[in-house]
Amino acid sequence: MKLENEDALDDLVICHKCHTLHKEINIQDGSKACCRECGTVLYRYDSRLAEHGLALSIAALIFFALANFFPLVKIEILGHEQFITIPKTFVSLFDNGFYIVGLICSFLIFIFPLMIFSIYVCLFCLLKLRIGETLSKELLILLSHIMPWSMSDIFLISILVALVKLIGYAQIHMGIAFWALMVFVLLDLYMTRTMHISEIWMLRKRIFLKKNRKEKSA
Amino acid sequence: MDVEKKNLFKKEQEREVCMIEVKEDELIRCPVCEAVNIDKGKENKCRRCGSAIYKHRTFQTEKSWAYLITAIIAYIPANLYPMLITKQFGTTEGSTILGGVLMLWEHGSYPIAAIIFFASIVIPVLKFLVLFYLLISVKYPLGKDRKVNKHKLYYLTEVIGPWSMIDVFVVAILAALIHLANIEIVAGTAATAFALSVFFTLLAAHAFDTRLIKENR
Ligand SMILES: [Zn+2]
Ligand SMILES: [Zn+2]
Repeated sequence: MKLENEDALDDLVICHKCHTLHKEINIQDGSKACCRECGTVLYRYDSRLAEHGLALSIAALIFFALANFFPLVKIEILGHEQFITIPKTFVSLFDNGFYIVGLICSFLIFIFPLMIFSIYVCLFCLLKLRIGETLSKELLILLSHIMPWSMSDIFLISILVALVKLIGYAQIHMGIAFWALMVFVLLDLYMTRTMHISEIWMLRKRIFLKKNRKEKSA
Repeated sequence: MDVEKKNLFKKEQEREVCMIEVKEDELIRCPVCEAVNIDKGKENKCRRCGSAIYKHRTFQTEKSWAYLITAIIAYIPANLYPMLITKQFGTTEGSTILGGVLMLWEHGSYPIAAIIFFASIVIPVLKFLVLFYLLISVKYPLGKDRKVNKHKLYYLTEVIGPWSMIDVFVVAILAALIHLANIEIVAGTAATAFALSVFFTLLAAHAFDTRLIKENR
């Protein structure tokens, strides 16, 4: 295989599931390219990626805020009413002296999800305004380091498991935050599926290449 | 005419020199930004994000081994000590992971028992075994190695791995939800051990260099 220079490597894609090498081809706006071996989506093309990403990540942040302020579930047990919120879940671990679990949980279900979507918002803003070439790079690197550590989806399933355990002992009422968390998880899933991090890298490359060229010619 | 031709030929030659010849199996994927890079042996730096890709040919598995062994050690107390302690009208009762699963099964909550069993026992053990196999097989090729797509195996553990946190979250939720005067649920020592075990398995998986797996391409 012969390449003109290292930049030509950007036309190649390696499937993240089975590591088959592919050559990137131009595809229609809104469509996707799949791996020929295992069928995983390799990349998509969305001409308005920055706008879509910004809208989705702001929506996700709003739902995340709702999910943290309001009670997730309320239960009635022996005439007493009890409720939990996301922060209360790990704060009570701290109160009981479980500092390590409390710390791990607070990062997995609170700090990392919050960080990821704040980074998304900053990133898409920078790309939209065509500024911050190095900052956007730092943010993208940080993003790919913390992405695998966000566990809101697993926490959502855990709530359901915990509630099933309580059926028969207590009366259960779902709170607003539960539904907000569900919307947040769905948005999170949708974003990680449709806006793969390599597509944001390519968008960044296109934007700053164009900008630098303009500055040179001007 | 002749001079022009000569010049053209010269230009062609120059372009030939500029081209880089790469073998397909020398292309590697950056673990951070997923850009395709040329494997230059020692000290590869990603051309897009600058992350180190290859450090040294003999070094890569050690970190992963260390994390994996720590995770396995933490998994032992996670199974021996109680995960959940129920204080009910003065009596204190602790249940281990396996005990909790058995109790749920006896009560007839089969789906929940199955979920907890998978999340807390099958997934961690499976992940230990897969990482063990991958770490050994990149150093010493085993018999029918080539038939297994190790990239897929690795990807699978990466996807299902975090789900083993379910039980820790469930304990955290129950402990936060139920603390009355008469009935109280508290997390047990196993919760800490288990959370640490999951944490270190995830670190081991991330430290594992997928570029060590080469034979599938
Ligand atoms: Zn594939
Ligand atoms: Zn990179």
